[in-house]
Amino acid sequence: MKDKIRIFLDTDLLEKYLLGNTSLEESQQVERYIAMYPEVRKTYNELQENLETFAKMHALKTPEGLKTKILVRIRAQQAGRRKFRRYAIAATIAAFIFAGSSYFFWNQSQNLQQENTIVNNKIKTLEADMRSQLEDVRNQFIVLNNPSTRKYMVNGNKKASELKAVAYINPVKKLSYINVRNLPHLPEDKCYQMWAEVNGEMVNLGVIKEIQDKDKLLALPYAEKAISYITIEPKGGNDTPTVQNIVANIKY
Amino acid sequence: MPSLYREARTKSTMSTLLERHIVELLGEQNEKAISLLYEHYGDTLYGVAYKVVKDEELAQDVLQESFVKIWKKGDSYDSTKAKLFTWLFRITRNTAIDKLRSLSTKSEKEIQIDVSNVYNLGVDKIKPEFMDVREHLEKIEPKYQIVLDALFFQGMTQQEASDELDIPLGTIKSRLKIGLRELRKIYGNGMVLIPLLIAIL
Repeated sequence: MKDKIRIFLDTDLLEKYLLGNTSLEESQQVERYIAMYPEVRKTYNELQENLETFAKMHALKTPEGLKTKILVRIRAQQAGRRKFRRYAIAATIAAFIFAGSSYFFWNQSQNLQQENTIVNNKIKTLEADMRSQLEDVRNQFIVLNNPSTRKYMVNGNKKASELKAVAYINPVKKLSYINVRNLPHLPEDKCYQMWAEVNGEMVNLGVIKEIQDKDKLLALPYAEKAISYITIEPKGGNDTPTVQNIVANIKY
Repeated sequence: MPSLYREARTKSTMSTLLERHIVELLGEQNEKAISLLYEHYGDTLYGVAYKVVKDEELAQDVLQESFVKIWKKGDSYDSTKAKLFTWLFRITRNTAIDKLRSLSTKSEKEIQIDVSNVYNLGVDKIKPEFMDVREHLEKIEPKYQIVLDALFFQGMTQQEASDELDIPLGTIKSRLKIGLRELRKIYGNGMVLIPLLIAIL
């Protein structure tokens, strides 16, 4: 152990460390020795004392004004640091505000986009609705206004003698419409449903609502020698017509 | 003897108190730390800078830069690793060496030379106006001073000093030992003087 310390002290590492000339690894080694061995610590402390004494012997009177110069530089340094700190704080706050507002605007833009999609879809639906309705009205106009259109009065059979409807058929334009004017009242659980027999198949034309549909022309699929039927079905309509409940038929 | 011991302790405690105060102020970024450091160590550190650069103007630059570094590094000082003066000395000496290096790289005429060779070994001519500050120095014989100089200011190893001065290693070792003992004597005298003064008073 003694030898180890002696060898260490002989390497001059302690002196190099004293002056700050050691590498990081050497410094760590020296600091370990100082911490572990009182003898090394004592030598190091003595060297420190000697260094201070020897340096003090070489002291020179500092020139007038040098202290002021140094203090001015320190103050400038400190002002710069303070200014930097102030800028750093300001920048941090600005960054937070920016991040916050960015999120806010992003969110808002996201909402607007969603709304935009909804509105666009609505417009498209409306447009499509309008177009189909316009087409429908145009066809109705063509049918009603056309000289080759024939008008058929439809009356209900015994089961619904009050039923009155008008069918318009145009074989040239191949369009047909029906206007159901009057329907006898039905019990709550029943409804009227329209059918058309096209090329031997029964096509469901939908349920006729009693009141609203008074002035409405209902389009019928056109076919040569087709027959339309009105039947009484359970409420909500049926998939296939109940033949015994036919209340009216329109041949055209 | 117990009174001497107590006085010595008081002195070291007092200097530690001042040091601790300065270190505290440094950590708080209080400008007063620099004022206190300048008052207590300015002349010594100026001497250290001058020893390395051998030019008063350069030494003043070095001292300014050193104090700025001390100010900036204030919170990195670790009192468990070194005395305050050792830390100040390291910063000042290294700043001075850096200054010399940058000068020698700036002037193209000069060839890159080892820093330890930038200045010649030997005892400086002492200017008359510094005589009072350096009165102690005369108490140490030049042959010991040279070895102490090589060790403390030029950072030479004993082997390097032996090569540089062309003196056998054994002689370097013994001269260093005596030199350090002389130093301790001077250092010790201060401590003997205080109780003496107190006794007289």
